Amino acid sequence: MKLPKKQSWRQLHSRLEPGFKRMLWLSVAIHFLFPILYTGLLHFTPEKAKPPVYRVNLVNKPVKNPQAGRPEASPKQETKTVKKAKPKPVVRPTPKPKPVVKPKPKPSPKPEPKSKPVVKPTPKPKPEPTISKADEQSFDQKMAELRRQQEREDRLAALRAELERERRKVVSPVEDAPVGEITGKGDQEGIAYASYVKEFITERWRLSKYQLPSLNLEAEWKLIYNAQGKLIHKKVISKSGNKAFDDSLLTAIMKSQNLGRELEEQTEFEVTFNLREMQN
Amino acid sequence: MIIFKRVLLLVLALLITVSSALAVKIEISAPGEQQIPLAITSFVPMGQIQPEIATEINAVLDADLSLSGLFSMVDRASYLSDAETLGLNSVQVDFTQWKLLGAEAVVKGGYRIEDGKLIIEARLFDVISRRMLTGRRYIGKPEEVRRIAHTFADQVMHSLTGEKGPFSSRIAYVSNRTGKKELYLMEVDGHAPIRLTNHRSIVLNPDFSPVGKELIFTSYKNRNPDLHRKEIYTGREARVSHRTGLNIGGRFSPNGREIAVTLSKDKNSELYLIGTDGTIHRRLTNHWGIDVDPSWSPAADKIAFVSDRRGNPHVYIVDVDSLEVNRLTFDGKYNATPAWSPDGERIAFSRLEDKRFDIYTINPDGTDERRLTFGPGNKEHPRWSPDSRFLVYSLDRDGEKSIYVMRADGTGNRRISAPGGDDSHPAWSGRW
Repeated sequence: MKLPKKQSWRQLHSRLEPGFKRMLWLSVAIHFLFPILYTGLLHFTPEKAKPPVYRVNLVNKPVKNPQAGRPEASPKQETKTVKKAKPKPVVRPTPKPKPVVKPKPKPSPKPEPKSKPVVKPTPKPKPEPTISKADEQSFDQKMAELRRQQEREDRLAALRAELERERRKVVSPVEDAPVGEITGKGDQEGIAYASYVKEFITERWRLSKYQLPSLNLEAEWKLIYNAQGKLIHKKVISKSGNKAFDDSLLTAIMKSQNLGRELEEQTEFEVTFNLREMQN
Repeated sequence: MIIFKRVLLLVLALLITVSSALAVKIEISAPGEQQIPLAITSFVPMGQIQPEIATEINAVLDADLSLSGLFSMVDRASYLSDAETLGLNSVQVDFTQWKLLGAEAVVKGGYRIEDGKLIIEARLFDVISRRMLTGRRYIGKPEEVRRIAHTFADQVMHSLTGEKGPFSSRIAYVSNRTGKKELYLMEVDGHAPIRLTNHRSIVLNPDFSPVGKELIFTSYKNRNPDLHRKEIYTGREARVSHRTGLNIGGRFSPNGREIAVTLSKDKNSELYLIGTDGTIHRRLTNHWGIDVDPSWSPAADKIAFVSDRRGNPHVYIVDVDSLEVNRLTFDGKYNATPAWSPDGERIAFSRLEDKRFDIYTINPDGTDERRLTFGPGNKEHPRWSPDSRFLVYSLDRDGEKSIYVMRADGTGNRRISAPGGDDSHPAWSGRW
């Protein structure tokens, strides 16, 4: 009985495709694994800490008569709700007036100190009977004079401060102009040699738009000036291709051979000439 | 060794890069001065003194070169001793004096009459580089002083711009100073006007042939607006087109072989291309609207014209090959007389706005429209100089029509035709 069972099993086994057994086990394993994963891992949620419960009284924007139109609402209730609603919406807008309230008392005592010396001495003359009227008058005069002097000094100090502010304020037509230029702001840090050279050459560059077929021209020159401001080397990096334009540049550079002032050191300039400002 | 060379090259390249990076970069985006200070000295006699010759030369040079807009004239009163010397080569010129006066260019010259011929030596010097920019000797008849001076002015323009000036060319126009509208010819500055026709009728719309000294125009001589042609020097005249109806607005093609003209032989005004013998080569437009005032592009592939096909008269462009029509102008109630510049860059036309015609220019693609003239009076019939630097037009002001010239940007307007009649329909010749 045993043999035929074994044999039939072997026969069955031999009929199965190689690797079937492995696939079968795998399939079974997946079938077991899937529900476990689905129910266990995916649906696993760690216990959440109970969120704190906040009790919030939601209120509407305070209105004059929120229950208006409701027949069941009595006018008394309306007033109550309004009273309840008031504190919360006021919480945020009110901070604004609060700081306004605080500084108010502060400025008021400030001017007082000025008058304090006036106020303090007042108790002194209390022993009135001992001081004569003439003394009192002279004292009052002195006090008035002191007050005037103090006021004058205060006014002078304010004017001086204003003057200083004006002096420090540099009005420049060019926004963020570099320091050292006429239009520049801030403290002088040195001379803007590049600006000087640019201005010097520009002044000597003469060219009429009527000489040119187009204003879309550009040329680049390399110029080396020594520390004495003399042109020691000039070289065309790129030409415009227009003779009138290129000749005018050569003339301008020839006229700019001596800058008429010293430079900090021997400097190499790469000058780009174009007619961008004329293209309008 | 190879590695050493490579390292050396690398170091050199690095040094170059570093040095260029250290250079101070400057951008100069406009010249400090946009006019060249020019001194025109009085021409010195090289023989017999004839002050009227020197005066004439100086007057012409002054007028021409100031119209160019290139120069600012140095005050004659400030001239120093070098102005009185001939100085035909750079060695003989005291450039220091001119530099002191702020002049950057100097015109010097002399004249003499030899065997009844006028000989003029003229020079242009660059004060900065101390060299002669151009120098010419002219020989002509004594009465040709003005022509010679105009020619030298053209030469000055050439040496400073690379293109000759238009000052020795001519301007044809229509004037009624005899009581009838006749065709006239004058110099660019309005001098020496001469009457070309005696049709005792109405003459209109002259146009110069690009080849040969010849004009076409419309005349009512035969009681019909027929297209005529006239050889200027021989005076020979012939009718080119005398079809029933209009034969108007004739314009020579850039090669001079064809004429674009408006014919209304089929009752409606259409543009046609005809040969110089008057035979019709091609019909360019076919629309119920009125098509007039053709003007060729310099490449001869397009023609600008006026049409009222969309209501108001506007400028359109027709492709000569495909006959495709494109609208160019959209503003204004009335746009008329387009004129394509010889360099092809702009199209000038007149536009009625605020009850007045003014001159406008526009790019051929319809962009960058600019108004050039302002002020009272109708400004009409703009035509370009051969170098596209100037425009001539007629201005109707104070009850009199006269011819004016201006630069292509609308500056430097000046009247050139003499008073005493209504002058209109100017046409600028090519190089004369």
